[in-house]
Amino acid sequence: MRTAAVAPDAGTEEPQTPPRTSDRLPFWVNQRLGLLVLTIGLALLFGALRPAFFDARLVLFPLLRDISTLTVVALAQMVVLSVGHMNLAVGRMAAFGALFAGFGYDRLGLPLPLGLLLCLAAGAAIGALTGWIIARTGVGSFVVTLAMDFALLGLVSLAYSALTENAAFTSTPAGLDELRAYSLADICVGPVCGSPAIPQIAQFTVLALIALGFLYSCTRIGRELLLTGANPAAAELSGIPTKRRVVTAHALSGLLAALAGFMAAAGTGTFRASIGDDFMLPSFLGAVLGGTLLTGGVVSVVGALLGTSLVAVIRKGLDLLGVGLESLNIYLGCVLLLALSADRVRNVLSYRKVVRST
Amino acid sequence: MSEPLLACEDIVKVFPGVRALDQVGLRLQAGTVHALLGENGAGKSTLIKVLTGVHAPDGGRLRWQGDEVHLRSPLEAGRLGIGVVHQERNVIPGFSVAENITLQQPPARRGLISPAAMIGPARDCLQELGLDLDPRLPVRELSVAQQQLVEIAKALHTDSRVLLLDEPTASLSPGEAERLFEVIRRLTARGTCVVFVSHKLEEVFALCDTVTVLRDGRSVLESAPLSEHTHDDIVSLMVGRAHAATAFTPRTVDASGPAALSLTGIATAAGHEDVSFDVATGEIVGLYGLVGAGRSELVKAVLGLDRVHSGEVRVHGEPASISSPRQALHRYGIGYLTENRKEEGVFLDQPITRNIAVTVWRKLAGALGQVSSKREQAVAQDLVDRLGIRLARLGQNAGELSGGNQQKVSLAKWLATDTRLLIVDEPTVGVDVRTKHAFHELLWELARDGMPIVLISSDLGEMVTLADRVVVMAGHRVRGQVANDHDYERMSQRIIRLIHDRPAPEAAVEKGRMTP
Ligand SMILES: Nc1ncnc2c1ncn2[C@@H]1O[C@H](COP(=O)(O)OP(=O)(O)OP(=O)(O)O)[C@@H](O)[C@H]1O
Ligand SMILES: [Mg+2]
Repeated sequence: MRTAAVAPDAGTEEPQTPPRTSDRLPFWVNQRLGLLVLTIGLALLFGALRPAFFDARLVLFPLLRDISTLTVVALAQMVVLSVGHMNLAVGRMAAFGALFAGFGYDRLGLPLPLGLLLCLAAGAAIGALTGWIIARTGVGSFVVTLAMDFALLGLVSLAYSALTENAAFTSTPAGLDELRAYSLADICVGPVCGSPAIPQIAQFTVLALIALGFLYSCTRIGRELLLTGANPAAAELSGIPTKRRVVTAHALSGLLAALAGFMAAAGTGTFRASIGDDFMLPSFLGAVLGGTLLTGGVVSVVGALLGTSLVAVIRKGLDLLGVGLESLNIYLGCVLLLALSADRVRNVLSYRKVVRST
Repeated sequence: MSEPLLACEDIVKVFPGVRALDQVGLRLQAGTVHALLGENGAGKSTLIKVLTGVHAPDGGRLRWQGDEVHLRSPLEAGRLGIGVVHQERNVIPGFSVAENITLQQPPARRGLISPAAMIGPARDCLQELGLDLDPRLPVRELSVAQQQLVEIAKALHTDSRVLLLDEPTASLSPGEAERLFEVIRRLTARGTCVVFVSHKLEEVFALCDTVTVLRDGRSVLESAPLSEHTHDDIVSLMVGRAHAATAFTPRTVDASGPAALSLTGIATAAGHEDVSFDVATGEIVGLYGLVGAGRSELVKAVLGLDRVHSGEVRVHGEPASISSPRQALHRYGIGYLTENRKEEGVFLDQPITRNIAVTVWRKLAGALGQVSSKREQAVAQDLVDRLGIRLARLGQNAGELSGGNQQKVSLAKWLATDTRLLIVDEPTVGVDVRTKHAFHELLWELARDGMPIVLISSDLGEMVTLADRVVVMAGHRVRGQVANDHDYERMSQRIIRLIHDRPAPEAAVEKGRMTP
C-alpha cells in the first residue's frame, strides 16, 4: 500500500543518483517486500537456533502484542511525517489518552468501549491543539511537540498523583482482562479455533491499518495531507487548506497515540504515567524503515507494520539467544543499517536494468 | 579549425523510459558563443548536466583540449574550468548574496572564511551585471529575476574557461538580458567559450556564433556556424517540420456586464498605492513593468496572501474580500499560475496525475471523501493530451519532466477545474517556440470563450500578441494603460515612455483608470 510516488533521494534538481520510478521497476525493488522477506528470514533463523522462538503462548503472543502496539505508535508518527512534521510527544500523548481511560474506568465507572472513546477523544483533542498551535504560530513542529512533551509529562504525573493513591488506576472494567489475555484461540467457529499466537488486541491495529490505508490511497484528505507535506507553498496556492490539514494530521496522530496508550495499558492491566515512555524512537524507526519520508509527501502504511515487525523480531530473537542489552543494541543497529543499504543496492541495480532496456 | 576547448562525441544518456541523449556531439571553440537549441524535452539541460559531471553519460566521450576526461562530479568539472548556471535555481535562500556568489571559492584566511572579504568580489560580479544589490541581503528576499542574476554572478566568480548558461534570460527583462549579453561578449573576447541555451531566437541570433540543435535527444545540427542559417531554418530543424505560426481568430471583449475583476484604489502592505484597473469578461489584460514593479506581489495580495490596506476588489460585480488562494479558487473561481514554478507551482516529488488533479479532488470526491483514481487519471490524461505534455507515464514524478513540460503541468491544474478568472504570471518562461505559440493560442481561445485573463509578463512580444490592454506598472503604482494595437514598435515606445513617466503625445495613452 505504497501511497505516494517513490521519492528521489535528496535534492530533486540534480539527482546525482537518478530518481526511482515506482511502477516501471521490477517487483523485487519493492521496499516492503524486502522488509517482509527479511523479517520472515530472521524469524526462521531464530526459530532454527532456538526452537522456543515459535512457542505460540510464551513468545509469539507477547511478540505480536508488542508489534500491535508499536505499529499503532509508528502510524501515529507516520501521519505527522506525511505533512512534513514530526511528533516528539507521541509517548506523552499516549499517556495522556490512557489517563482519561483510566479515570473513566476508575472514577466514572465507564464500560470498556466508552472509556476507549474518551481516551481517543482526549488524544485527538491534545493532538489538534498541538496542530493548531503549529499552524497558528508558524513555529516548527519539532519545537512545539517537544514543548508539548514536557508539558504533558508534568501534567500527566500531576494528575495521577492527585487522583490516585499509588500513581496508577488499577480498577479495570469488565472485558479488559480478556482483551489482554485472549488470543484468536478463544474465538471458535464450531470446532475450528484461531491461532493462540495472535492476540485479540491486534484488532485495533488491523482497524487502524485499514483506515489509514483507505485514507492515504483513496481519499481527498489523504492526498491533501501528502501534497501539504510535499510542498506547502504550492499546496496553499493550489487551494489546499494547508493549515487545516496540519491540524488534521496532528489530531489524527494524537488519536493514534492515545489508542496505542490504551493498548499498552490494556497489555499491563494498569493505567499509569509511565505508559508510552519508550514510544518515541520506535515510532520513527517503524515509519522510516517502512519507507515513509522524513521530509513529507511519501508514506507507507503497510511499511509501518513491516518496519515495526522487523525491529521487534530482531529484539525478541536476540533476547532469546541470550544477548545482553548492550550488545543487543549494537546488533540491532547493524541489522537496521543492513536493511536500509540493501534497499539502496536493490534500487541501483534495478535502475541499471531498466535503463539498459530503454 | 583549431582544437576545441571542450568536445563531446556520441554522448548517450538514458533515463527509465527515455533516451534523453542519443549520440550527441558538440565542439566548443574558445572565444565563441555557442547556441544550444531544441524544444522542451529535447535534452539540452541533460547535455549540460553531462558536461558538468552531474549525470554520468551511458556512452560516448568527453574531451578537454583533446584529452579524454571522465567527470565524476560537478566539483571536478569546476576544477577543469567548466562553469554553469543551471536552468533551475540553485541558490541557498538563507545565505546572503555574497555568500552565495562566493560559495565555490570562499575567500579564506588561514582556513577561516571571512565574511567581510566576500563583499568586495561579490560586489564586483554584481556590478559587472549592472545589478545594484546589497551583497549582505539574504537571497530569500530577492525576486526571481534577481536570484537568476545572482546565480550568473556566482558563475562569473569562478572564472571559467567554458561557461554553460541554461536559459539564463528566461526570467530577465530585455534590459537586464542586454547587460548579460555585454558581459558574455566581454568574456568571449577574453577567450572564454559560452554555451547559451534559450528559447528566444532573437537573442540567439543577436548573440551567438555557432549553433547545435537537438531534437528528441539527437543532434540534428552540430556545431555549425549560425550565420549560414535563417530563423525559419532553425525553427524547422527544432520542430522537425516547417513551423508556421497561424494567425489567431479575432475575438471580442464583452464589456456589457460587470467587470470580471475590478480593483479600485488598492493599497497593500507590500507598498502598492492606488492601484485600479478592470478586467472584462473575455478580455486579456496585460500587467507590464520592469522587474520589481510589484506585479506578482499585487496579485498575491489580492489572493489573500498579503494584506490589502484599502481599496475595493470586485469579482463579477460583487465586492469580494479574499482571505486565501483556496477561497479565491473555490468561491470566486480564480486560478493563479505562479511565476515560481519550482517553489510554488509543481509538486516535484509527486506524480503528474496528482499535480494536475489537485484542484478537482473536491469535485471528484464521493460520500466518504474517496477519489477514484480512474477518474483522476482521466482528468490528467485529458489535459496531458490537450496541452501536449511530453511524459513517459502519468505516474511519473513531475520533477522528471523537462522545464517546459513542468510549466504545462502547472497550468494544467487550473484548466482542470472550472476557473472563471485566470491570472497567469510569466506563463511562457522557458517554453519552446512551438509550445509558446500553443500556449498563446490556448490563452487566446480561453479568452474567446469568455475567460477573463490577467497576464503578467516581462516578454513584451507576448503582451503585444495577446493583451487587449496593457496596464503599465512601476514602483508599485499603475503608471497608465495602453490599448493594444498589436504593433510591437509603437507599443514598446508607449510603454517605455509610461514607465519612465514621460507623458506621450499620442492620444491613445490615458493616464490612470480606463474602462474598456
Ligand atoms: N532525472 C530524470 N529522470 C527521468 N527522466 C528525465 C530526468 N531528467 C530529464 N529527463 C527526461 O529527459 C528528457 C530531456 O530533458 P531535458 O531536461 O534535458 O530537456 P530540455 O531540452 O532541457 O527541455 P526544456 O527546454 O524544457 O528545459 C525529457 O524527456 C525528460 O523527461
Ligand atoms: Mg532544460
